Amino acid sequence: MKNKTTLNRLGLVLVALFVLVAVFAEIITPHSPWKRFEPYEKPSKDHWLGTNDIGNDILSELIYGTRASLIVGLGAAAIATLLGLLIGLASGYFKGPVDEWLMGITDIFLMIPRIPLIIILAAFLKSSFWIIMLALGFLWWTSTARVVRSKTLQVREMDFVASSKCLGFKNRYILLSDILPNIFPVVVPKFMLTVATAMISEASLSFLGLGDPSMKSWGLMINFAFIKGGLINEMWWWYLSPGVCIILFVFSIVLLGFSFEEHRESVIR
Amino acid sequence: MFRVYCFVVFISKKKILRYLLALFIIFSLNFILPRAMPGDPLTNLLGEEYILSEAALQELRSELGLDKPLTFQYLEYWKGIVRFDLGYSYHFNQKVISLILSRMKWTLALLVPSIILGAILGTILGALSGWKRNAVPNKAMTWAFLAVYSSPPYFLGIILLYIFAFKWGLFPFKGFYETGTIIDILQHLFLPVLIMSAFAASRNYMIMRGSVIIEKEKLYVVYARAKGLLGDSILFRHIFKNAILPVLTLVALDFGFLLSGALFVEIIFSMNGMGTLIYEALLSRDYPVLQGCFLIITIMVIGANLIVDVLYSIIDPRVREKG
Repeated sequence: MKNKTTLNRLGLVLVALFVLVAVFAEIITPHSPWKRFEPYEKPSKDHWLGTNDIGNDILSELIYGTRASLIVGLGAAAIATLLGLLIGLASGYFKGPVDEWLMGITDIFLMIPRIPLIIILAAFLKSSFWIIMLALGFLWWTSTARVVRSKTLQVREMDFVASSKCLGFKNRYILLSDILPNIFPVVVPKFMLTVATAMISEASLSFLGLGDPSMKSWGLMINFAFIKGGLINEMWWWYLSPGVCIILFVFSIVLLGFSFEEHRESVIR
Repeated sequence: MFRVYCFVVFISKKKILRYLLALFIIFSLNFILPRAMPGDPLTNLLGEEYILSEAALQELRSELGLDKPLTFQYLEYWKGIVRFDLGYSYHFNQKVISLILSRMKWTLALLVPSIILGAILGTILGALSGWKRNAVPNKAMTWAFLAVYSSPPYFLGIILLYIFAFKWGLFPFKGFYETGTIIDILQHLFLPVLIMSAFAASRNYMIMRGSVIIEKEKLYVVYARAKGLLGDSILFRHIFKNAILPVLTLVALDFGFLLSGALFVEIIFSMNGMGTLIYEALLSRDYPVLQGCFLIITIMVIGANLIVDVLYSIIDPRVREKG
């Protein structure tokens, strides 16, 4: 039991740290990420992580990148979770034809190859940061909807829902105050995993150069390090630092999600 | 005596119908995209790297039916699909369909072994880990798989490429040509397959572990123990079959995600597959190739789901009986 709470705390502390860095990016950065110094510099006292091909300070880029990656990850996951929650609730609560239709739509969305579709959209729409976020959000709700639906199907058969119905409460009231609080424990870990997937996807798409060059994200940094010779010139601090940031952040958020799930399991038993 | 084993393969009509509907809708979406996006539909249909005279452009415009009503264009589009005509790439100077088919085998050579290896490794290790979840080696394994789970596969690719190929020179640094020997090909495939297998395994591992943790509390396990079975044989004879069902569903749902991961890994290892093709097409804004890849990948995803449905009905007879 002790171990679980330490895991939980570790995840929480790391996530909080990244959020703080993102919020206070302007204050923390030693230089402006757009200011140009000597290019290809090694890590030094002045530039802890050196400079990139056009002379930007890599540490400052990294700190600003936290903001970009976080906005995409959290924004996309928020849209996806909200959509999944609405569709899953409606589907599980009303059953019948509503359920048939909504789950049919969900099944079709599940078949769409999402990353290739976003690549096409971003190619047509002249890559922007917001398009990637919106597209990720509107394509990634399917598994949340399924999980919420099956949980709603369980909860709606419980006695307190039946008694609310007998007392004549409206559907909207029952959904909001009886069912929603019981769905929450499944939605929270699902939200975390969606943030993780969205951030990995954003990092991958930015790696293709589809990110917004005006908004530095971690994936974009790896992309530049890879194509501008960071790998061959053994400038490991350049491509390794954004990669480690991605892994660390996703790791902590996944940790939080899984520890939530394990906790719930032990409560049920 | 020969005996014919015949699995009654069962997939519900509703499922087939949904797959067909999904195929129809995604293909229709593909028709709408270049016409609904900003910019000249002609450019959106040809890509941005053609050099043609104004007269030739006009001719192409009428040949593509862009001066005709949309319903007519839509019918023509489906006629093209039925004839496996996905358009022409001006960047590669080749038909899109033959271009993709020639590249597809490398993507499959990376993806198929990775999915199979990832499924085997993930389920067995996940089952063992869920069975004795407080043992120290199992905990360490969970941490390791969590780390892999959290990283973009292409980044792992960069790191392994750097260590094994660049620093130690154990594996080739660049991609390979079609003419290599089997050993040559295997040597080139080793690292990418290793990464994709680990990535696939990490996702299966998590689900299998959770699934075994839930299953091992059930009554049939208690009965098996009361019957006198020992630990591992309970796990592999009884629990495994039940616990693997959610993993199978995941493998199907994950196929698209893993495929996307494989596309990026290809780029890192300069493999001549669909990922590199998409990358090249993206750099030259070759829309027909991008869209062709999208369609072919859709077909692959739906095909993978069909295969898993069949497997599911073989493993879990309850699905067949329900009808």
